[in-house]
Amino acid sequence: MIESMTGLSLAIVGAALAVLLAGIGSAIGIGIVGQTAAGVVTEDPDKFGPTLLLQALPGTQGIYGLLIGFLILQRTGMIGGTPMEISMAEGWLFLLSGLPIAFVGLMSAIAQGKAAASGVLLIAKRPEELGKAIIYAVMVETYAVLALLMSIMILFGI
Amino acid sequence: MGIAKMNKLYLVAHQAEKDKVLAILQQLGVLEVSDLQAKDAEGQAWAEMVEEDQEQEALQSLEARLADVRFSLDFLQRYYPAKKSLLAALNDSKMVVNSVQLSSNAAEWDKISANVYAALRKIDEKLMLLRNEETRLQNLKVQLTPWVKLDVPLEEIKATAVVRTELGSLPAAELGQVREELAAAAPACYLQEVNSDRGESLVFVLYHLADADDVLAILKQHNFNRQNFPQLQGTASENLKRIEQELAKAGSERTAALAGAAEQLKYRDQLNYFLDYLTLERDKKQVVSNLARTGNAFILEGWICQSDLPGLKKKLAAACETVEVLAREPEENEAFPVVLENKPIFAPFDFITKLYGTPGPRGLDPTPMLAPFFIVFFGLCMTDAGYGVIIALLGIVGLKLIKTGPARNLMWIFLAGGLSTVFFGWLVGGWFGLPLFGAPLFFDSLEDPMRMLVYAFVLGIIQIFFGMAIQFYRLVRQGKILDAIFDVGFWYLLIIGLLLFIAPGMGGIAQSMALAGAGGLILTQGRAQPTLIKKFFSGLLSLYNITGYLSDVLSYSRLLALGLATAVIALAINTMAGLLAGHPIGYVVMVILLLAGHTFNLIINTLGSYIHSSRLQYIEFYNRFYEGGGRAFVPFRLKTRSIQIQSEWQNK
Repeated sequence: MIESMTGLSLAIVGAALAVLLAGIGSAIGIGIVGQTAAGVVTEDPDKFGPTLLLQALPGTQGIYGLLIGFLILQRTGMIGGTPMEISMAEGWLFLLSGLPIAFVGLMSAIAQGKAAASGVLLIAKRPEELGKAIIYAVMVETYAVLALLMSIMILFGI
Repeated sequence: MGIAKMNKLYLVAHQAEKDKVLAILQQLGVLEVSDLQAKDAEGQAWAEMVEEDQEQEALQSLEARLADVRFSLDFLQRYYPAKKSLLAALNDSKMVVNSVQLSSNAAEWDKISANVYAALRKIDEKLMLLRNEETRLQNLKVQLTPWVKLDVPLEEIKATAVVRTELGSLPAAELGQVREELAAAAPACYLQEVNSDRGESLVFVLYHLADADDVLAILKQHNFNRQNFPQLQGTASENLKRIEQELAKAGSERTAALAGAAEQLKYRDQLNYFLDYLTLERDKKQVVSNLARTGNAFILEGWICQSDLPGLKKKLAAACETVEVLAREPEENEAFPVVLENKPIFAPFDFITKLYGTPGPRGLDPTPMLAPFFIVFFGLCMTDAGYGVIIALLGIVGLKLIKTGPARNLMWIFLAGGLSTVFFGWLVGGWFGLPLFGAPLFFDSLEDPMRMLVYAFVLGIIQIFFGMAIQFYRLVRQGKILDAIFDVGFWYLLIIGLLLFIAPGMGGIAQSMALAGAGGLILTQGRAQPTLIKKFFSGLLSLYNITGYLSDVLSYSRLLALGLATAVIALAINTMAGLLAGHPIGYVVMVILLLAGHTFNLIINTLGSYIHSSRLQYIEFYNRFYEGGGRAFVPFRLKTRSIQIQSEWQNK
């Protein structure tokens, strides 16, 4: 099993982890906001627009994960070329490049979902304060952006 | 520019001219009337002159009529919802009325409103009766339906001189046993199963009065549940037929009632206008409770923009005979409401400033300073010229369609952000993820992200240094020159010194600058502390703040990350679409995928760019100089939803 594993398999594990974990995080985060938003909209259907905006915020981590997954596949020739011969050492680097966005994406999307859900409650009472509700949620996103950056830098450094 | 100069205004006039003065003030909409009751009037010379709710009755009558109009409008809205297109909602299209016409129209609207209210109230009651009747009939129908096979008229289910008849239900499983027990105890008893329904047998029982005790005891023991239909004549099936007829009748009556309501729909516009009129009148009456009065005069207190003051004085003097207006500058520590005044190109960016909060009365309006940074950051976060063209076009179309309101400001921001995106996309990005017009003019950020990262940090340092410069200027303007040098100047020295270490051959200068800055900070940052040792240690600890500067600069790396995200997702969409080429159906799917994918990428990244560009202003930039805690100016003005009043007093 171990012998038949090539560097390419390791790289694909990295791509899969980035998409998988960040995607799970976003799904949970968006779900949390959606539950709260649905409750608010039962009272006031006009709040659909602003609550949808808040619900979209924890979705970016999943996109960042997809982005890194795509970049790994592209740089290993899985998309738009022929799969390359990759050494085990390089394969590990590709795998590691997926990890920052995978783990930070997973946790930050859930945390951002909670912040955005509270933001939904904020605009339920004070619709004019949508901007502040968004900013609170975006404070969390910073760390997903930093993780994305690190993933990209490792990937481009290989 | 920036925060408008406000003046405190006192207005004294004769009671007789009160209505006129209030009407003029409301139509001009330049004065914020202070709430005299809300603030502690104790110790003020006029404390006992403040009159409470002096027009309570008029106010109540207005509120009552407002409630009637709202009832009528809500009723019509419930059964005949008025759909307003998004564009009309954004544009706030209103009927234009002359202020003199308004009061003559109001009498007519009042009459219409009263008639509509009476008619709709009657219809509402009718509908409620019909609803109750329908519920009753439906319940009866449910009860009767199982008995449809019983051919005995219901009025005959009763006790006579010798026999008694009963209807009821029994558990179906116990029916056989009941029969046996009855046959044993009262042979003259007759029991017929009429129907069975969900494990219950519906039975008709007939027995001699002499056997009543035995029969009832057996029935009770087996959970007999008696049913009565006291007011019904005829058999169950006859009754069901009649119920259907009555339900149909109720239905047609409801339709007729709603048709009656539909006749009132033609007055909906007038009702909306009247709602506005009543709201305006009520606002005027409510302001009255903020007045102070003596025997014949009243005093009004409020805030006004200095630039609006001469206009107000002139108009009041022209229209009224007894009005006296006094105005003064705010006192040293007096808080005043804040109005942001900016040149037309910056004014739309008020939108971004206000999203965060209102700056303090003695702070600085950050709008003109953040606007250029915001536009540049937005462009860098998108970095795709193709998307930029679409955003700019959306902005142009939006500006054509939307004439007023905050949505128009957003369109300006779209236009500026879109153009910036085209610029940066051309420089370091692509067009919809493709090099449509050759390689990027400067370099491809996707090929050399490290280079782009350095530029992002440089932009961050520029904005942070600019923020520090604003703080320096603010402190100097307040006369705190030493504070400016200690709190801002030394940081400049230290940070620039540290940055110079990167440059080759500057090590010596860099070292001395950084040391001078750090030394200055250690010596001065503890100056508020009482003892020498505390001064030293808080000075030393202040160096720890360097981490704040470091993390703020690192935060600008998001410019690169978001720019790359846009580019890579666009690339991913193009690659996936490219895989489909080469087959007729593949081409169709490809086009759909390209359209949907790029639309998605555009929306999600425009949202991301907007909020992340805002965040860099709010957290990294404001942190250096911003002083919040202001209260937005809320003038006493015409607040309407459906009519726009053309006032003889308003500025054209």
